[in-house]
Amino acid sequence: MSQSSPTGSFDVASLVEDVNLRRVGQYALVVFFLGFFLVPLETGIMTAIKTNESVARSLPFAPPASEGFTLGNIQFALEQLSGSFFNSLVMSIPATIGSVLFGSMAAYGLTMVNWRAQMGVLMLFVVGVFVPYQAVLVPLARFWNNIFPLARMIEPMVASIPFFQGYHADLVPLVITHIAYGIPICTILFRSYYQSLPNSLVEAGKIDGASITKIYRRIILPISKPMFGVVFIYQFTQIYNEFLFAFTLVTGSDAPAAPVTLVLPAIGASTSGIDFGIRMSAAFLAAVPTLILYVAFAEQFAKGLRTEA
Amino acid sequence: MGQIQLTDLMKRFGDTVAVDDLSLDIADEEFLVLVGPSGCGKSTTLRMLAGLETPTSGDIYIGGDHMNYRVPQNRDIAMVFQDYALYPHMTVRQNIRFGLEEEEGYTSAERDERAVEVAETLGISDLLDRKPDELSGGQQQRVALGRAIVRDPEVFLMDEPLSNLDAKLRAEMRTELQNLQDQLAVTTVYVTHNQTEAMTMADRIAVMDDGELQQVASPFECYHEPNNLFVAEFIGEPMINLVRGTRSETTFVGEHFSYPLDEDVMESVGDRDDLVLGVRPEDIVVADTDPDDAAIGDHELRMDVTVVEPHGDQNVLHLSHPDQPSDDDALQAVTGGMHLVTRGDRVTVRIPPDTIHVFDAETGTAVHNRRHDQEADLTELEQ
Repeated sequence: MSQSSPTGSFDVASLVEDVNLRRVGQYALVVFFLGFFLVPLETGIMTAIKTNESVARSLPFAPPASEGFTLGNIQFALEQLSGSFFNSLVMSIPATIGSVLFGSMAAYGLTMVNWRAQMGVLMLFVVGVFVPYQAVLVPLARFWNNIFPLARMIEPMVASIPFFQGYHADLVPLVITHIAYGIPICTILFRSYYQSLPNSLVEAGKIDGASITKIYRRIILPISKPMFGVVFIYQFTQIYNEFLFAFTLVTGSDAPAAPVTLVLPAIGASTSGIDFGIRMSAAFLAAVPTLILYVAFAEQFAKGLRTEA
Repeated sequence: MGQIQLTDLMKRFGDTVAVDDLSLDIADEEFLVLVGPSGCGKSTTLRMLAGLETPTSGDIYIGGDHMNYRVPQNRDIAMVFQDYALYPHMTVRQNIRFGLEEEEGYTSAERDERAVEVAETLGISDLLDRKPDELSGGQQQRVALGRAIVRDPEVFLMDEPLSNLDAKLRAEMRTELQNLQDQLAVTTVYVTHNQTEAMTMADRIAVMDDGELQQVASPFECYHEPNNLFVAEFIGEPMINLVRGTRSETTFVGEHFSYPLDEDVMESVGDRDDLVLGVRPEDIVVADTDPDDAAIGDHELRMDVTVVEPHGDQNVLHLSHPDQPSDDDALQAVTGGMHLVTRGDRVTVRIPPDTIHVFDAETGTAVHNRRHDQEADLTELEQ
């Protein structure tokens, strides 16, 4: 049979036999969910590159017709966002590094070093994870504005740093707040990882004469590299996307120190209506840093998740 | 130098006593093996010596200096861990070198040199630039040893260092460890639950149970002159045969047989009534004669063979009493490898009177140990 068939060894009949309802159902489901998740994304991209009239006239997910196509939206959004991008990165990067590093240190101190009242301190960290943002907003604003106006105090200093303006000092309280708020969750994440490490590593370090800090620096820190990948990505995304603290401490999208999340809702909105093309472009641009991070750390991320499991 | 003195050492974890009133002197350059079942406190003792645990009470002296409050680094010790505890992100060279970094009196170049030198001693110089996960178990073991000897300590502490190796490699490493210890002349305290390791490596064995020291003696003594039932049972493979019974005049009466006791045994037994009779499996003589016809002697009994375990060089027989076949492991005997016995055979078993141990059934202490010619044994030991 197969010898006489023109397609050689390829047997068409076997394909037909394999088709049954179950398989058809499976593929239908896959295609459905693929569409379910991808259509909004595709719609977003299409909207971003359409002129405002084209958005109004064509179907949301249809590609723009030749005269409806424009890169102006993206360009405009980029111009609007460029300052706040810088603000966001200036805030998120130190805040992420700080909370991850301190979290790892705290976890090391809570799992691999023995001292009294350890359990009590750990409980405080756990409680810290569950303190709701809303509950601290007012005290936070009062603290940074009235009790300890750090931003105003260091403004001249910040202004003298190249590439920085005086208003960037407003971000410093935000960075400190994010570090403080991020430490508990980072500590808990690192703690579960450190608990899985053999205790004998620290003991071997002690026998070799290393101090507690040297054991951390030379043994534990390098070993926890994969976990740093995971926690770093998680924490960066959290801080970069955070809105409430930024809104409370930097106040409003027109402040020069406003990060992306504050500026984003204001772009493309005016008294004459909403420009969906510009909004979509801005939204995509705002997501780019987190996307880059995921791609850059993908390997570490996967490794970290593996070692944790 | 490397002599160790432990006096009334005690360690409590909450309510449980891990080590109870342990006093032990270890001579310079001695190879002492701490042995016992898991949870007996041997590892805790070692960790107190290392400075990883603080004793609840009692004193630790190493080289005559009080050690209780010193950090591990200042105790002039090195430790080998059961899981080797190699730093996974460092190369073999860095692993070995790490212990030298906090030592005074080395330049950076000298530290590198010393690491290479140690690697040569252990035959791992070609592995210096590999990471631990690229090494076999035996090679990792060597790196762990290298990390211990690089600082040239007075005392080695080893916590079951061979238990993660396969049987053949373990036997090899045993000899190698002994040679190394000889060569470096370092006092060694070695913890294991494996009595073969204890017997083959130790100058002296310290047997522990339930936090208490049971006996400290040479392997020979632990085997032939155990202090009590626990030591007798723990040392020796297959295990010593123990039969509970009572004394009636000068005869030991067990459930299935009676055994007349010699004059000198009676001397040490005195008027104790509840006794445990012990005999090592290899001391039992299994006779070939047809048991039904032969007259049974004073120290003989008839038994059935229930299981034969051939080991090649020897056969281990499991025996049962004819009047209670359900207990198929009443006694164990070892015969020569050429002595063929089949399962189900009825044999005559002789327990020579000079091989028996007698224990007090209540306290477990040995009241009489097997006879042996002390002089002859000692010369044999020295060879």
